[in-house]
Amino acid sequence: MRLVRWFDVHSSDSQRSQDAIAQIYRLISSRDHKHQSNFVEFSDSTKLIYRRYAGLYFVMGVDLLDDEPIYLCHIHLFVEVLDAFFGNVCELDIVFNFYKAYMIMDEMFIGGEIQEISKDMLLERLSILDRLD
Amino acid sequence: MTLELLYEHKEVVEKINDEVNYQLVKDLSSSDDNFVMLALNFVGVVGKLTNRLAYNDDITTGVFKILRSPTSSIYLKKKSALSFLALLKSNHSILTEDLQRKQLWIQRILSLLDDTENYRLTLATIPLIEFIAKYIDPSYCTRLLPQVTEILYNCVVIGTSTSSDKQFPLEYTFANMPNPWLITKVVSLLSILIASPTERDSNSLLQTNNIDTELLNKLRKCVSVAIELGTRQGQDPMERIVQNTVLFSLINFASKLDPSDEAIGNSVSALCSLLASKEINIRYLTLDSLVKLCSSSGKPAIDAVRYKNLDMIFHLLNTERDSSIVRKVVDLLYTFTDAENVKIIVDGLLQYILSPKNLAEPQIKSDIAVKIAILTEKYATDINWFVLISLKLLSLTSSTTINDDEIWQRLCQIVVNNPSLHKLTCEQLVDYLCKKQASEAIVKAAAFLLGEYPSLVADKIPGVSLFGLFAEKYFSVSNVAKAMILTTMIKLYKTSPEIGSNVIKFFQLELNSLDIELQTRSFEYLNIIQLAKASGNVEVLQVLFEPMPPFNSKSNPLLKRLGSLPTSAGSATLINTSSTASSSTSVLVPKRASSSRSIGVPVPPPPRRSTTNDINSNIDLSEDFSGKDFYYSRQILAPNWREGFTRMISHKQGVLFTSSLIKVFYRITTPNSQQSYAFHISLAFINLTEWEITGLSTQVIASKTQSNPEYVIMNVNLPSAATIKPHKRVEQSYELSVRKPFDVEDSPILAIHFKCGGSINTINLKTAIGMTTTLVSSEVNPSMHLTLAQFITRWKTLSEALGRDGEYQISGIKLKKDFKKAETIGLEDGLLLLVQTVKRLGFDIVEQTSVHSTIFVSGIVHTKSEGNFGCLMKIQYQENGVANVTCKTTTAGPLAKYIAECTRNVLAK
Repeated sequence: MRLVRWFDVHSSDSQRSQDAIAQIYRLISSRDHKHQSNFVEFSDSTKLIYRRYAGLYFVMGVDLLDDEPIYLCHIHLFVEVLDAFFGNVCELDIVFNFYKAYMIMDEMFIGGEIQEISKDMLLERLSILDRLD
Repeated sequence: MTLELLYEHKEVVEKINDEVNYQLVKDLSSSDDNFVMLALNFVGVVGKLTNRLAYNDDITTGVFKILRSPTSSIYLKKKSALSFLALLKSNHSILTEDLQRKQLWIQRILSLLDDTENYRLTLATIPLIEFIAKYIDPSYCTRLLPQVTEILYNCVVIGTSTSSDKQFPLEYTFANMPNPWLITKVVSLLSILIASPTERDSNSLLQTNNIDTELLNKLRKCVSVAIELGTRQGQDPMERIVQNTVLFSLINFASKLDPSDEAIGNSVSALCSLLASKEINIRYLTLDSLVKLCSSSGKPAIDAVRYKNLDMIFHLLNTERDSSIVRKVVDLLYTFTDAENVKIIVDGLLQYILSPKNLAEPQIKSDIAVKIAILTEKYATDINWFVLISLKLLSLTSSTTINDDEIWQRLCQIVVNNPSLHKLTCEQLVDYLCKKQASEAIVKAAAFLLGEYPSLVADKIPGVSLFGLFAEKYFSVSNVAKAMILTTMIKLYKTSPEIGSNVIKFFQLELNSLDIELQTRSFEYLNIIQLAKASGNVEVLQVLFEPMPPFNSKSNPLLKRLGSLPTSAGSATLINTSSTASSSTSVLVPKRASSSRSIGVPVPPPPRRSTTNDINSNIDLSEDFSGKDFYYSRQILAPNWREGFTRMISHKQGVLFTSSLIKVFYRITTPNSQQSYAFHISLAFINLTEWEITGLSTQVIASKTQSNPEYVIMNVNLPSAATIKPHKRVEQSYELSVRKPFDVEDSPILAIHFKCGGSINTINLKTAIGMTTTLVSSEVNPSMHLTLAQFITRWKTLSEALGRDGEYQISGIKLKKDFKKAETIGLEDGLLLLVQTVKRLGFDIVEQTSVHSTIFVSGIVHTKSEGNFGCLMKIQYQENGVANVTCKTTTAGPLAKYIAECTRNVLAK
């Protein structure tokens, strides 16, 4: 588990959240990459949209009523931005610069909604933020 | 970041809460954008995890201030829009608590969309608006339809057209495709605003039949362009994802646009061709789309799917290895099953569960089992087939881990209610019991049904062997089933007393059972038998174990299990299933129960009238105490609305409103002289400034739209343009038809929204349509003219017939200033002016010379539903410019008051 962000109250106690993460992990990793779709129902109110990039899974849990493919776009855009920001991103970048990864996440998503989709804008903004430190 | 982590732990939150709030408020009002952004990020992330922030007024106002401030940078605006949404999600009362704030804030938020240059802000605003439309009050948002359609059209149609020579903003495209984010958001907002033809009683607002045809065509065009795009061959994987996004979001939306059967057929065949796609995701999405399409568009879509593509779907069912897809396939099959194809589909599904190579998750198998049970009950035309399939289903359950009590219980209920099924079912059950591995569900069903009707199988299996059979099964089943078998045994004893000693032995054995329930039952039953034997009274048993009466549970408990199934299709499907279920189960239910059953059938909702103003988000709040729509009565009118209102009562055309920015003219015409209760009202808006007026949109709000309203507004046309150039005009019209008498004060409200030179304006005006508007003057229809003698006789008749019921009197009306221009306004002048005014209203003056100070007038008011009423009025002029009005009508009730009030409005200053 490298990055996680809850946008809705899952449960008040952190143990249950950990359990949910473990469940998601089991569910996703048991699925066949080649022969199964990128969508799976997780609970009565949530479905998971996931995508694998090398060894990393990016998973989003969304409402059952939402359109699935747009979230694949979300994930792809996020990965593209990570890639452009770190320059050929690899897992280690995210592990050691997790705060930067979170910063990117915050620039892209607020309250569970996407807020910026232009890669150029995002990168420009991120480089400003990066230089602030 | 650190702070966000802190919020994961409760104790920490408690300790630092005040500190954080203080810091946040400070940051929000900081002049450094970076601080503000950090604060907004924090609000956005934490806002939904705890509801403390949302209940802090300083913070919500702080965030909103940034949102509305014209000087905030676009980053700030976007972030504040979404953080505000996060706050709103955890506390709706930010907007609902204070009425004035609600109106003001929502107007502000909606006006963010006016900024069409900047799609990035639009992207962040739409989710916020969608939330408002969905949970707070959709009525504010309906007027956005043209604007939102425009965005979609720009994106999908203009953004992708190759021939367009206009330089189009790059923002509308992404990877050579229309921008998927913008499209999905716009489409989901549109689907909230527009109700599909099948869900008339939902609280969405716009019906397709009253959307402007031009808009509708634009939307349809978008869909067809998207389908075209979707079939294009893309190379880049990203491009393909985007392509799918656009395609599926628009196809799912298409069913709301009231498409023709042919159009549905086309989209179905386009989708079905995608089923053969090599990409798993596409197959999944296609199935999902088909499920939605079938449940929302109904028959045409369903027919198109099942006649041509059933084989393909079964093929998918048997070859697919992804449980998500299998689930969708099953959903799809479930959606389009009916009496015609139920056998094929149920067989296919049964095969799937039976087939050993499909090692699907038990969860799915159990789901399928429930669905089979429902389908067979719902659509079976042959009840024997129904029993066979159900029993087969029950016998299967042993091989998997399914434990569905509901299925066998439901079967038992239906069998008990249908005497013709008793024999067949019991015989089948005996057969199943004789097999080695009878499933527990079969044992339970058998224990119940064979206990009820042992005599029916007496020729097939004697009572003793039946007892033996149960005694054998007894030791291989769970305690619940054991308890049932104990009851069965005593019932068997009732019909065939020769097994008495065996039964007693068995019960005695079970007295030592560890399970308290079994022990109690055996003890009690044993005592009953001994009691019956000792007294030689068999009737005790007969009374205690009477045959089961028919069950009268109306709803199928299995349907509850489907909670998670067609959620994507919205409530409409659930309503459909429940109503078809209750009507078609009557096949399986004997006549005597069917009368009580019909009560459970949901009454179809009354058809909605076609007005754009059928807008009530909260049903419980939709009417205030006087029966008026809540939305109507809480409109805050412009300060000088009454001037135009009074003018509109007396004049058929004129100025409704003037301000320094805008002038509104009105004209009332009666298109058909035979129907003087139906009006065509045209409005003209004139820009009085040197700048453009943009974002013009209007709403006509009726006082009542539900429960037999007094008048109905129809065919509301949109303003001819959303932008008014300086000193130019824009027009709009609508129709109104008066159904019943009503108070002129309940006339429709016209809400005008526009933007001018950076300021956002809303003007609410009351547009007067009174009972006097329906008068037809005698110049048009001379036969209505009354002589004095006629007037007096009728006046007397009315007084005798109705007494004071049909009468209303207003005295001491101070006449308008105009009347008193000269200090020495004489009787003659006063009367002359009165006559003119009343004539203008459409009343007819009765010529007379006997009473000088009074004028006698008559008229006929028209209504659509309640017919026409005669009206007589005496207006007495007193000195000092004061008049008294007495009005009589041919009906009791408040009509006289309504007419007198109209007259007073016109006369009074």
